Amino acid sequence: MLRLHGIVGHRDDPEVQSRLHHVEHHGGIEFLFVPPHEAGRKRFRLATDKGTDCAVSLERDEVLTDGALLFLAHGRAVIARFGEQAVWRLRPRDASAALGLGWHAGNLHWRVRFEGDVLVVLLDGPTDEYRARIAHLLAANLLEEITDV
Amino acid sequence: MIATHDAKGTRMAAARVGIGGPVGSGKTALVERLIPSLLARGIDLAVITNDLVTAEDAERIRRSGLIDPARVSAVEAGACPHTVIREDPSLNIEAADDLERRFPGVELILIESGGDNLASTFSRDLTDFWMFVIDVGGGDDIPRKRGPGVVRCDLLVINKTDLAPHVGVELAPMLAQALDVRDGRPVLLTNCRKGEGIDAVVSALERDVLFRA
Repeated sequence: MLRLHGIVGHRDDPEVQSRLHHVEHHGGIEFLFVPPHEAGRKRFRLATDKGTDCAVSLERDEVLTDGALLFLAHGRAVIARFGEQAVWRLRPRDASAALGLGWHAGNLHWRVRFEGDVLVVLLDGPTDEYRARIAHLLAANLLEEITDV
Repeated sequence: MIATHDAKGTRMAAARVGIGGPVGSGKTALVERLIPSLLARGIDLAVITNDLVTAEDAERIRRSGLIDPARVSAVEAGACPHTVIREDPSLNIEAADDLERRFPGVELILIESGGDNLASTFSRDLTDFWMFVIDVGGGDDIPRKRGPGVVRCDLLVINKTDLAPHVGVELAPMLAQALDVRDGRPVLLTNCRKGEGIDAVVSALERDVLFRA
């Protein structure tokens, strides 16, 4: 187990980049792929792409970001990588539909963002499981599913 | 004791573990069983309980004699407790910060809260890991109902296994269905009344939260 505490830098930091370049030549870079819905964790255990078992903890005020450097020493580096957060964008047809959608999203404890008149649902599972919860709104054409964004 | 400082000598924050689940499933009983087991393994511990408008659970644990009463804090939600573990966990965060200030060596803080039945979940801002406790008395169909608490928790605990034959529950299918809805993520069986299964829960915390193994 490789015990890691805190973020020591970012892969884009100029100083870090030159050191990473050296490590890269020796095949010492390992990526820790963190699922997007787990990115808020301050403590987790996950294996790198090379199989190293990492036990990671962060300070309460630290935020893990894509490219965060968690370890850099002895010709070896561990970098956090995120997959892209899956989202589902919904545009209500009118104010009444928006109220209905908002009520369901709140009642179902969905993680959401607002983009103008579009509700963006941050998905923690398959879209169909979310779609099933508001099937009646979709069937009534009260919502437009936006897929081209 | 496990290391509470990093290589530079900076003190690491205590791990925060949520324990949620429906009313009556055995959350407080689990805490009462975990305390001596964790202390026996040398883990420096504190507890926060969440109640609606009383400090009932905190008082129960303070009076238990299992832990220094000063290490048990109560949060009174004033509403369904799920609101203060998910929507706005600031009261619990402050309670945990306060325990860390008063007990600088604390390594693990257990945060117990009921509320919101099977939909109760913990904010990642508050906890590093959370368990959800259900019991066989609630029916063997509970896992199939795919409540967010059951599906999303880091560790599902099915408690009161001793009651299974008395309430017409077959444990093996219930366990299989729980593993199925959780895509194989951990599920453990406990009988808190007799302390059965507690060691496995403690081992999971040591491995996944305290990084001891």
